[in-house]
Order: sequence, then structure tokens, then C-alpha cells
Amino acid sequence: MVFNSYTFIVFFAIVLILHNLPISWKAKKINLLLASYIFYAAWNPPFILLLWLSTVVDYFVGKALYAQTNKHKKRLLLVVSLIGNLGMLCFFKYGGFLLENFVHLVNALGIHYQPAKPNIILPAGISFYTFTTLCYTIDMYKKESAPVRSLLDFSLFVTFFPHLVAGPIVRPPQLVPQFETPRKASRRQLMEGLFLLSTGLFMKVVLADGMLSASADAVFNSKDVLPGLDAWAGSLAFAGQIFFDFAGYSTCAIGVALCLGFILPQNFRFPYAATSFSDFWRRWHITLSSWLRDYLYIPLGGNRRGRFRTYINLMITMLLGGLWHGANWTFVAWGGLHGLYLWIEKFLQDRKEKASVMPTVAAALPAYGTAPSAKTIVLPISIFNTRWKGLPYALFIFLLVNITWVFFRSGTFAQAGSILGSMFGFSHGGQPLLKTLAMVKVGVVVLLLLITQWLLRNTKLTDVAYRLPWWVTGLIWSSMVILLILSQESSGSFIYFQF
Amino acid sequence: MPEKTLSRAAILMVLLVIAVIGSWELYLRHTKIPLDYDDGKELWSDKRARVYDSPDMTTVFIGSSRIKFDLDIDTWQKITGREAVQLSIVGSNPMPILQDLGNDPNFRGKLVVDVTEPLFFANDSAEPQKPDQYIAYYKHRTPAQKASFAINHVLESQFLFLDQDAFSLNAELDKWKLPNRKGVFVFPDFPDDFGRTTFERQSYMTARFVADTSLQHQVQNVWLFVINMARHAPHSKEDDLDPVPIVLRSVENAVNKIRARGGEVVFTRTPSSGPFFMGEQHAFPRAKMWDPLLATTHSTGFYFADNPATAHFTCPEWSHLSQPDAILYTKALISELPPSFTTSK
Repeated sequence: MVFNSYTFIVFFAIVLILHNLPISWKAKKINLLLASYIFYAAWNPPFILLLWLSTVVDYFVGKALYAQTNKHKKRLLLVVSLIGNLGMLCFFKYGGFLLENFVHLVNALGIHYQPAKPNIILPAGISFYTFTTLCYTIDMYKKESAPVRSLLDFSLFVTFFPHLVAGPIVRPPQLVPQFETPRKASRRQLMEGLFLLSTGLFMKVVLADGMLSASADAVFNSKDVLPGLDAWAGSLAFAGQIFFDFAGYSTCAIGVALCLGFILPQNFRFPYAATSFSDFWRRWHITLSSWLRDYLYIPLGGNRRGRFRTYINLMITMLLGGLWHGANWTFVAWGGLHGLYLWIEKFLQDRKEKASVMPTVAAALPAYGTAPSAKTIVLPISIFNTRWKGLPYALFIFLLVNITWVFFRSGTFAQAGSILGSMFGFSHGGQPLLKTLAMVKVGVVVLLLLITQWLLRNTKLTDVAYRLPWWVTGLIWSSMVILLILSQESSGSFIYFQF
Repeated sequence: MPEKTLSRAAILMVLLVIAVIGSWELYLRHTKIPLDYDDGKELWSDKRARVYDSPDMTTVFIGSSRIKFDLDIDTWQKITGREAVQLSIVGSNPMPILQDLGNDPNFRGKLVVDVTEPLFFANDSAEPQKPDQYIAYYKHRTPAQKASFAINHVLESQFLFLDQDAFSLNAELDKWKLPNRKGVFVFPDFPDDFGRTTFERQSYMTARFVADTSLQHQVQNVWLFVINMARHAPHSKEDDLDPVPIVLRSVENAVNKIRARGGEVVFTRTPSSGPFFMGEQHAFPRAKMWDPLLATTHSTGFYFADNPATAHFTCPEWSHLSQPDAILYTKALISELPPSFTTSK
């Protein structure tokens, strides 16, 4: 089930009513769990079995891991859990990719091998719930938090429908305690939740699907060489689309949970206002980047094993982060390019620190290996002492991030090369593709996106809603809902469902 | 001090949304434009699921847009007592649907295949992937999508503004005719009055369209544009092959599969007129296309020009019948089809 569907509206209304009935907290939790299973099964019922398997195995393995004192047995349990979780992910998500690469390899060695194409359906949200259960298992192994008391609470933690299929990726301490005591949304939370739900749907349905997706699809599905203007418009359209689609989902998820009285972690913080790449990763898909930091980068050694290892660890993290998004080398290239950007940034930062000419804020990569600083900029403070002075840096970062999106969206390197060639003037000629109206939509939406992100970069959406006079908030809210109703975009899936 | 909430903003939002959407709906009702259903993959899939209804009570139609306009479903159902399941897709070749039904072991029904030669034999289609996309959607429909369709049907049946092609935000923006750069491909627009769609997937022209020759000329110009586009399409190696034998083999194969399961298949050729008909006759002569089709598949067929009741029809925009003519055509069609297609048990 997707948030932007009539089915969800009816489903959510029923869930809200049931959650506010005068019944026991346990009964309410059972209701939420059943609702979560219905939410998932409404997409493809058989895959609910995978979810159950993952939940039950990780609950009992987690308990055993926490209680086990024998180091070897403990390690064995961890390996079993990791194989179970990652094996499932590998089979469903990477099975076809691995086989395809294996075939390429043996064919290159002169061995003719052509197996039948596997027909594997990717279960929705498998990457998300696998990461959710993995972090629980690893926490139990490290004894970083106490085991969840009941299978009901653990099942709800894994399956809670707002975050189930596309995050935010929650950690046990963020959500499990909220299931331990009765919760019901206050009027403030309910209104705030509905406001966030409307905003998220507006971002997804009106902006991502209605204004940008057609231009992005036209450019990225084109088999012809395109003029530079079209290539730029297509890549900018996708930069906007992916943000509005995914941040829209997260905003809906947080809003839906809040309507029920639960608080989910923030997943986006105006990422296109980032003034450095490390800043970008503290603002984009925050729960994934912090997951990768805590469960991959730091266990690899983080920045504690010397400068060279830090660079290597950083690149491994980004490459695997790229691969997490999809079974294609273009996603790996996307991650690799971000890794390269972070390398360059760290190199410049290290040089600057050596020279110690000017004070800098934060370590080069606070998102990876050190605690995030209150201010997240890595460039000299003096530059940012007025409201607009950092803007050129933000635009520069956005431009470079935009280039990475070309790899992310392209199905092949040839396609990415063709679009980048057009963007940077290496390809000439080409038939103009996008109509003026499409260009205007992309231009206006992306420009407004960048301005809004810059102006709001140090605040939260709900804070703005409270700060504005109530009638201004009401006008903005009603405009979003009216456009949402009028857009009539069909209930297309969120891009991140496929990850 | 009481805790600040968004309650007042929420109340204002609800009032404004009701006022704006309500006014828009009232305005549209005032214009007397008829209700229209989105003729997308969701509605098509709803009908596709009905091909398994009793073969004694149901006739399935596949083809392109002509049979969608020319078959008047009310008339069909009143006279025959049978359901008409309309699976034709505008602007597309019905071959993928024929093959899908041929490969479906559960389909044993009565099937009418309408032939629009440029699409059927040459696949000069604006959207050749559409039938495959619809079939794929039907096969992978989720329970949530089915439920959303049911809810959408209730709303779409009540509100005029829920007409995606005519009144959605993007449809309204598309009405701004901004000049495009030289070389950008722009497909000409069809007027809204040309093709309204019922829940049974019948298309029809509004009375305004039938009365307004300028609207008809607008659609005629679209056909001229399409013909011109086909003429200037880049030549490919495939163009050197004669497609007819390949198409005939493929049709024969699917028809035989359906017949082997007890199903029946007939063919129709719905009316076209004016320069369009002349062009079709020239490029796709009956003796080379239609006649071999019936011979290869050992089928009966109804070619509109063979029946005096339908031979004289003039299509307002050369390619589709107006609704009054569609009623007459449907009556003639019923009289021409084998009784097993038109009698209910």
C-alpha cells in the first residue's frame, strides 16, 4: 500500500479510529501490528512470510545473543543472523545482478555459459527492514541496548507500517521504548501529523510526480543525443524528483506515526542547502547515513587507524551505500563519486588544518566517525556570517550532487555518459526534446526548491508552521491540499520502494 | 499559556479546500460537460478480469479506438442480453491482447477482433508499448490497487473535476500554449469533446463535437499529422520485410489456441470515410490484408462496406462514428455476427 492512494486514506482512518478506542494498550498494539501486516500484504501477500521469518529469527537470535556469554557461540549466532538477513537480501535484490556478472566473467574467460534469466520479484522495503533488524542483532551482540521484552513489541518495531517499506530506518532505542507505555497523539501531535502528511503527499504527488517526473523520464529514457539544455533540465528534474519523492515519503511516514502518537527520527534536513559533502550526508537520508556510519564505517576502523585507512573506509562505505540502493554498477559509481567528493573535501580540510590559518568548524567528516557538530559547515566561519554568503557553496555542492544523480538515474554507463556529454558540451547537435512548459515547470520548481531549502536550512518544517501567523499557515496548507486534489496523479510507487 | 497547535490553520484549510474544490465542481457542472472516466490501465484491468464471465453471456471486443466508438454497449446489451467487455486500447495494435488471450488457458469466450489496418498490420502506433503495459499491470495488480480502483470509481462517478485528461493540474497547465523551440516534437491535441469515456470503456463524441465542424477539422488535422509522420518515419531494415505474413501467422496461432479451448473468434472492420478511408484502401488493400486474414484464420468477418446499412456511414472526423450512428452500426453488427456471439443462454 502506498501513502498516495485512496486505499491508504481509508486504511489510515480506520487505524486512527481503532487506536483511539478505549481499549487496552496491548489490544491497541495488536491492532497496529495487524494493520502493519495488512499494509504490507496489500502489496503482495506471500512476502509477508519473509517479514515474519526475519522478525521471528531476529527476535530469538537477539535474545540468545544478549544472554550468551560464550564468545564463540555468540559469534556463531551473529554469523547465523547476518547470513539469514543478508542472504535473503542478496538473493532477492542481488541474485540477478550477481548471476549476470558471473556470466560476464566466465564468458570473458572463454567459457560459454548462458543460464535462464532469473525471475525474482524484489519484496518491497526489504533493504529497509533488513537494516532495521540487522542493527538490532548487532546491538544485542555488542550489548548496546537491552533485548526487546516481548515478541509483540519486537514485531511492531520491525513492522510498524509508517516506516516499514521506505524508512526512516529506525534503531531499537528510538522506537521500542515508545511501545512500552500507552501512547495516543495529543491534539497538537495530531494536527502536526496531518500537516506533515499533507506536506509529504504534496511533495510526492504534485511536485515529484506531477511537475518533474515526466521531464526526467523523457530525458533519461531518450535513446538520442540531446542538446545540453534538455540534458540539464532532465538531470535537474531528477534531482528535484528524487528529493520530493523520498523526502515526501519520509515526511508522510513521520506525520502518520505522529498522528498515532509515535515519534520517528528525521530523515531529511534540507539537503540541497548543504555547504559541503559531509554536510550533505548529514541532511540526506540521515537514518541511512548514520546507520552506515555506526554499523559499517566505524566497525571498519573509521578515522581511528590513520589517514590512509580513513580514506579507504570512507570509500568502502560509500560504495556499499551505493550498492544498497540498487543492483547495478551505476549505483556503485554514484556511491563512488560521492566517496571521491568526500575524499577531496577531507584532503582539503586536512591541508587547511595543517596550515591552521583559519579556524574551521567541525571535523571534515563528522557524519563518519566523529560526533556531529552543532554547526555543520566545514568552510571558514567568517564566510558564513551573513544569511546569503554561503549560498554559492551550496549551489556548487548542488551542482556536483546533480552530476551524481545522472549515474543514479541512468540504467547504463553509456546512457549516463551520453547525458553528461550533452550537459558539458562534449556532444553536439541533437534534437530538442522538452517542451517549453516542461522546462518552465522544472525551472520554477527547482529554483523554488533551492531557495526554500536555503532559507529553511537551520530549522524544521513544523517550526515554520508554528512561527507563521495561523492564517498564513492555513493558506499554505490549503494551497497544498487543493493542488494535491487537483493534480489527480495516479498512485505511482515511491522511487525508494525499489531499493 | 495554552500549548500552540495548528488547529486554527487546519480549520481554515478544510474550509478553503471545500470552498475551492466545491466551486470548481459547480462551475464544471454548469458547463454541462458529461462525466468522463480515466481510460487507463486500471479501468482496462477491471474489464480484463471480466473475460472469464460466462461465455454464454459475455462477448469480448479487442481492437483500436474505432470499435470503442462504434460499438454502442447499451444497444448491444439491450438487444443481445449479453455483456460487452471492451478491451480495445486507443491508438494501439490489439495483437498483444489477442496473444495474451490466446495464451490464457482460462479464456474460452467469444472474441470480436476489430481491424484498423495501419495499426493491425503495420503497427504505426503512437504508443506501441501501451497494450503490453496494460497487460503487465493487470497481471501484477496488487490488492491495494484493486481497492483504490473501487474507491476511485465511487468518486469518479460523482465528481466531474476528477477527469485527469481534461481537468487535472497538468491538463490545465497544458492549455497554456507556450511556443516551443524549433525541432521539439509536439503531437497535436485532441479536443476534450472528441472522446469521452464511460465506465464500460465506450468512447463517444459529445453533441457539441458532432455539431461543430471546427472541432472535427481539428481532429482531421491530427490524422493528417499522423499520416504525415508515418510517411516521413525513418526507414529501418524491418520496413523491407512484408509484415502481413508475420502478422497472419501470429493471429492464426492465437486464434487456434482460443478455438482449441472452445472459444470463438470473428473479425470486424469498422467504418472510416473520406480521405482516411481512401488512404487506407490505397496503402492496405482489402484483397491483400482483410481477405487473407479471414482465409488464414478460417474466420467469418464483418466488413462495414459489405452491408448496405453500414456502407454509407460518414465519420465526422473520417475515422469514428458519432453516437447515433454507433447505435445503427451496433444493430447491423449484431445481425452480422454468428448467433453464438449475440444470443444469451
